[in-house]
Amino acid sequence: MRKRAVAALLAAVMVSGAFTGCGKTKERVNEEGESVITVWSPSDEPAIEEWWIDKIEEFNQAHEGEIELRREAIVRADSYAYEDKVNAAITSNDLPDILYVDGPNVSIYAANEVTLPLDDFFPEEEWADFFDSSKQQNTYDGNIYAVGATESSVALYYNKDMLDAAGIDVPESKEDAWTWSEYYEAAKKLTKDGVVGTNIIMDKGEGLSYVLEQFWISNGTDFVNEDGSSAEGYLNSAEGVEAAKFLNSLIQDGYANIDPIQKEFHNGKAATMLGGSWEVATLEKDYPDLNWGITYFPVADGDGILTSPTGDWAASVTKNVQDKDAVKEVMQFLFSADNVTTYAQAISKPPTRESSYDVLEEYNEYPRSVFKEQLMETGHPRPRTPSYSVLTAEFAEAMLNIFAGVDPQEALDAAAAAMDKDYNKYYAND
Amino acid sequence: MHKSVNKVSERKAAYIFILPAVVLLAAFLIYPSLQTVRYAFTDYNIMRPDRIVFCGFNNFAELFQDEDFWIAVKNTLYFTVLVVPFQTVLALALALLISSRRKGVAIFRAAYFSPQVTSMVVVAILWTVMYNSSPDSGLLNALLVNLGLEPCGFLNDPDTAMNSIIFMSAWQGAGYQMMIFLAGLQGISAEQYEAASIDGAGKIASFFYVTLPGLKNVIQYVVMITVIQAMKLFTQPYVMTKGGPQNSTRTLVYYIYEQGFQKRNFGYACAVAAIFFVIVISLSLGMKKIIKAD
Repeated sequence: MRKRAVAALLAAVMVSGAFTGCGKTKERVNEEGESVITVWSPSDEPAIEEWWIDKIEEFNQAHEGEIELRREAIVRADSYAYEDKVNAAITSNDLPDILYVDGPNVSIYAANEVTLPLDDFFPEEEWADFFDSSKQQNTYDGNIYAVGATESSVALYYNKDMLDAAGIDVPESKEDAWTWSEYYEAAKKLTKDGVVGTNIIMDKGEGLSYVLEQFWISNGTDFVNEDGSSAEGYLNSAEGVEAAKFLNSLIQDGYANIDPIQKEFHNGKAATMLGGSWEVATLEKDYPDLNWGITYFPVADGDGILTSPTGDWAASVTKNVQDKDAVKEVMQFLFSADNVTTYAQAISKPPTRESSYDVLEEYNEYPRSVFKEQLMETGHPRPRTPSYSVLTAEFAEAMLNIFAGVDPQEALDAAAAAMDKDYNKYYAND
Repeated sequence: MHKSVNKVSERKAAYIFILPAVVLLAAFLIYPSLQTVRYAFTDYNIMRPDRIVFCGFNNFAELFQDEDFWIAVKNTLYFTVLVVPFQTVLALALALLISSRRKGVAIFRAAYFSPQVTSMVVVAILWTVMYNSSPDSGLLNALLVNLGLEPCGFLNDPDTAMNSIIFMSAWQGAGYQMMIFLAGLQGISAEQYEAASIDGAGKIASFFYVTLPGLKNVIQYVVMITVIQAMKLFTQPYVMTKGGPQNSTRTLVYYIYEQGFQKRNFGYACAVAAIFFVIVISLSLGMKKIIKAD
């Protein structure tokens, strides 16, 4: 009899053990009666992790007895690991108060009412200090849904030695930025001895939309229409097809690799690359012998529009928030002029607040000045549409198909149709 | 009387013992499977768990007209039909090679098995590098060019992408089946070979008349698990090709992931999953029947 009781007990323990850990909801008030505010953001480099520890301590000391700020660093691995966790929290209604989201996802969460408008979180004069590019990315349907501390940009990196040897000069002002044909000619001249002229593939996922959308914008069109409801007639417009054909010619003629090796430019295997602002820090630190420079993002021939990519992660407030005043307090702290400056410094990215540039003087000097100038004057965030996940996946697929020989018009038609189908299914009748 | 009481309580104890397994299965297998079927009849978008609307057979109707879905079915079957014989023959050949008791065989056994203990993600990344379409950075293309041949697009060419995945998958997976074959080979008694050689059978004849019949059950088992494994192909296209180029490596499981998590069409993904389930179940039952009839 006793044996049986033990067996039953054992079974009970095993079964209950299987369920512990499930159903634990976020603590909103701690034992001391302080309001608990939880932040989710991707785990990052040591400098940023330290920044968080310092700032949380500083905030919690100043708000003792009222608010306790906590942060959970979520491993990103690739961007979907983070999103999977967020998706699960949406399903179980257990989101943190503050959720960091990647730029183009701001509209998706906003359109699905997962996040809340933040227009009243800062007074007018504070908002005015933030870059338009960042505010634009974080706006959906007329309201601001996220605040970002840092920005990103893409410019054309070049290998000085290779360009000198080929006798090629680079533009020194954005008005003289290379046109597509100049860019093509340079890439052609620079391709030799196992070195390709340029690198246009940052990665085969989000990097394609992030960098290559600019070729659509520069040619007078875009991926989607103004309100983000349709890609038909934009992504697959005549101008768009022309952009795709131009990019494809770089690949087909052998002036850019479809499968670039890791750090192709850094290792002297590509003479130029369309590279992100974060590469400056990498090149300075890990490739001190490479003689490189940067110049402006290429523009379409004729009356091409000056443009450059922008966008970065930003913090939003979720629908599961309980103490909205406390959250406001936290957001005002995290995105104060000082904290934006120190955060941007720790992560080596351009800050979103103009006043930060008074402190971070390196951005007034070449090469970082090029990114600052592009951000303030030519930056375009990625499309703001609740169907962005479909759009970006379809665009990446379309480009890779084009590079593999599919007719550009056909590939882009299919991508545009898929994006419109998603929008019409879920958002057209909202 | 005493005996039957004992039997009843024995039965009770049995139930208690299987309870943990049953509860865990119910919670993590049966319940999710039923939910999948339920969601397959809704327009569940993963972002809108509070706005799930029942939509009848809409997902299934859409599915049958969805070109990408049929391509995924075709790709999955193509992969299975090619990889199963290739991998099985390869595994058997390796097993025969190292079944002798010669010195140093253990090293080869470990070497052939080692891809199996390496994570598929790691293996897939390594092969992506080897398959690189440029002879300057891809090992295989460098070899081809040095032999005076044209470089091959491998993963970038819709005609070769799936075959490239089949080759590396068989290379990675064969080690495991090899071990099973080795165990099977040891089960064939030496007397049978002796008898065969007395009857004048050479090496080839004794392979066909002794080894193969002796391995019949093992082969059936190996084919069965390889088929089921092959149907679930996901990691390789996820890491190496993202389903492309031109849909040539989009498999059913990859399509489920893509629809459900990337595009957030959870209801639709559940419908694909339900169909996938039916396909795999009927394949396994069909194979079982063939084996039994044999």
